[in-house]
Amino acid sequence: MALLNRDDWYDIARDVDWSFSYVDRDEAFPEAWVGANGIPPEAWEDWEEPFRVSYRDYVKVQREKETGVGAIRDAMIRADLYAHLDPGHRASSHLHMGTTCMVEQMAVTMQSRFCRFAPSPKWRSLGVFGMLDEIRHAQLDLRFSHDLLKDEPRFDWCQKAFHTNEWGVIAVRNFFDDVMLNAGCIEAALATSLTVEHGFTNMQFVALASDAMEAGDINFSNLLSSIQTDEARHAQVGFPTLDVVIKHDPARAQRIIDVAFWRAFRLFQTLTGTAMDYYTPVEKRKMSFKEFMLEWIVKHHERILRDYGLKLPWYWDKFLLALDHGHHALHIGTWFWRPTLFWKPNGGISPAERRWLNEKYPSWDDSWGVLWDQIIENIRAGRMDKTLPETLPALCNLTQLPLGSAIDRHHLGKQQVEYEGRVYHFDSDVSRWVFELDPARYAGHMNVVDRFIAGQIQPMNLEGGLNWMGLTPDVMGDDAYDYRWARDEAEQPLQAAE
Amino acid sequence: MALFPIIGRFDGDFVPHLVAVDTEDSMDQIAEKVAVHAVGRRMPVNADADGYEVLLDDRVLDGGQTLAALMGETPVPPLQWFDVRWKT
Ligand SMILES: [Fe+2]
Ligand SMILES: [Fe+2]
Repeated sequence: MALLNRDDWYDIARDVDWSFSYVDRDEAFPEAWVGANGIPPEAWEDWEEPFRVSYRDYVKVQREKETGVGAIRDAMIRADLYAHLDPGHRASSHLHMGTTCMVEQMAVTMQSRFCRFAPSPKWRSLGVFGMLDEIRHAQLDLRFSHDLLKDEPRFDWCQKAFHTNEWGVIAVRNFFDDVMLNAGCIEAALATSLTVEHGFTNMQFVALASDAMEAGDINFSNLLSSIQTDEARHAQVGFPTLDVVIKHDPARAQRIIDVAFWRAFRLFQTLTGTAMDYYTPVEKRKMSFKEFMLEWIVKHHERILRDYGLKLPWYWDKFLLALDHGHHALHIGTWFWRPTLFWKPNGGISPAERRWLNEKYPSWDDSWGVLWDQIIENIRAGRMDKTLPETLPALCNLTQLPLGSAIDRHHLGKQQVEYEGRVYHFDSDVSRWVFELDPARYAGHMNVVDRFIAGQIQPMNLEGGLNWMGLTPDVMGDDAYDYRWARDEAEQPLQAAE
Repeated sequence: MALFPIIGRFDGDFVPHLVAVDTEDSMDQIAEKVAVHAVGRRMPVNADADGYEVLLDDRVLDGGQTLAALMGETPVPPLQWFDVRWKT
């Protein structure tokens, strides 16, 4: 029997809706799940997806992708590729697996909510493919990590990380709990699909895949590229959603996107900024994190805002300042508190690396170099206790990242507010603005400092903290190169002495 | 005598810390407790300075004043931000 052409049936098949007779529409599509916020159900008839994928097409293409990933995986395992990789690059892969795999798994739930509760049948149909994509991504990460467990216990954190209280993981989990799992379909599509997936991770996977290829990690690179091709497709549900929201409630669209962009950016600085500008071996770096952001993320975001008649966020100048500094702060901070990580960061302040940093960020020495000088002096003098922390950094009550990690020491200042009888601190006035838009939404979430003061961490010292975070000696962070970049005097003249 | 958590920022360092102080501590003692997390770790020692001073909302506090005495003058909630800097 001949098959119908896709175009003969597609428009009917993807747009099948119900006329309810036993329940009201509001009962079938509760506001808390949809999040329409006053946009009438008819408005979603305009929701249009550009993909025109049938299930048959989808399976065919995905099957080819899986075959490709599988073939490379088999070959690379046979070649024992992992054993030959640079320690800095390895750290990037541990960081990625630990902080991303369970976000992929959370995205399965988000997409499955689109399948059930999205206000347009076309969107619900497309959600099925998004859900299958995200299952694949989580499974690919788990399989990749499982293969390497015999070489490296840190890959256990691919699955384990989100079930611990490791502070960085708490920050990531808190954000995605909010915008993927807790938000209604409409906010999730604008904050997650459009801003995070289309705006950030889509491009991040391209860059990370290219860095991994440079570092010789063909297996990881190939996995990332394969995931990215799915991401580029399913992230598109953000655009037709934005079309509808702009027509009915442009102020809400602006607010959701501005909030999501800042919060996603702060995590991106933590996870990608450090890896790009410090973990990737200097001779393999193609672009600085800032150059990458300006070229691929910022231009793109500005274009989308312009195309949809939205404004640049009010904080754009502050964002550009943060772009110069935040990931350097996060790097020195994560390195200094390295026992609280499940990967081994590369200090990475050798003369060659330092030259590169100053070339890419002309104020680097003044903002960051002086602090590293003291660290290097301590390493050389054997005062390792002075290169380690004795207390917690103060943390932001929005991003859960350290205060000071959005800017440099010259711009650091108090952002303290009182709300319902307690003090809250923020890493920037932008994070404070987000909090003040909807304090009830954010105020109850305890960061690690709050939990420490509440007595949840015992004994109340660094050892108690590490134990509470689940950091066992086999995965606990230390310098990736055993401080080689700092030790050799001939290799490393102190800037201050020059 | 009671342990009291503050946020202590040492001027010139990049990150403020959670610092446990005592309500009977003088500002000079609080300054030491904040500085220990920055000076000699990421901040070089300043040989020209005459110790440290503590600031609350840009106001320099008397080094001999205790936190308890300060609390008698002005509300100081847990996790209040204090700045500490070199006295020159
Ligand atoms: Fe994904
Ligand atoms: Fe995705």
